[in-house]
Amino acid sequence: MPQNRLLALLRRLEESKSEFIVVGGLAAVLRGAPVHTYDLDIVYARNPQNIDRLLEVLASLGAIFRIQPERRLKPTASHLSGSGHLNLLTKDGPLDLLATIGQNLQFEDLLARSSQMDIGGGTHVTVLSLDALIEIKEQLAGDKDMAVLPILRQTLSESKKQRNREES
Amino acid sequence: MNNAVAQGHSMQSADANPVEPAPPPDYSEDGVDLSLIRWTLSLTPAERLEFLNDRIADIFTIRALNAPE
Repeated sequence: MPQNRLLALLRRLEESKSEFIVVGGLAAVLRGAPVHTYDLDIVYARNPQNIDRLLEVLASLGAIFRIQPERRLKPTASHLSGSGHLNLLTKDGPLDLLATIGQNLQFEDLLARSSQMDIGGGTHVTVLSLDALIEIKEQLAGDKDMAVLPILRQTLSESKKQRNREES
Repeated sequence: MNNAVAQGHSMQSADANPVEPAPPPDYSEDGVDLSLIRWTLSLTPAERLEFLNDRIADIFTIRALNAPE
């Protein structure tokens, strides 16, 4: 049985008490969409305390930038304070730290459209809702986003039907 | 009488074999596999994560087996 590295990565982030929301492909998977993804995308709160917590856990995960991995560039507070995407590689796989997604939506904007999910082993993480994920992908309208949209829309529709059946 | 019996029998048969609703389609109009979605929705988030992790591990194993030497 292979070690669950995705779970290990999420658990380490959660244990660090960092404020983050799981978005992207893994949010889609956790919400029930049959899609594949190799990386973990998170939107994080950019307050100084959270940046310190993230830097600590990133150091323990051996995080380096994926671009030019041979240079082993480590993320700094300055990187995390910025507004860009940090594409990192950790000992538990790729991890993308996103300051914003969609039309400049930050952690605080996304929190109301997210909820806690139990991912096993006593770990609960905040995950973006499927309808918010769909809305953001519709706004982005990139090829990759458009390709996955039919699956996300159908997952949302089936999920609502399932909920209605359970409630009736 | 015969008619009544026949009608009664006919109604009894209809009650015994009610018309079953059509099963939900396996695919949406735009070609999405709904049966796969229903299956993933039947799993817990933890099971979805575990399944994805296992599939990724399998893909990397197969890639390693087929990597050029």
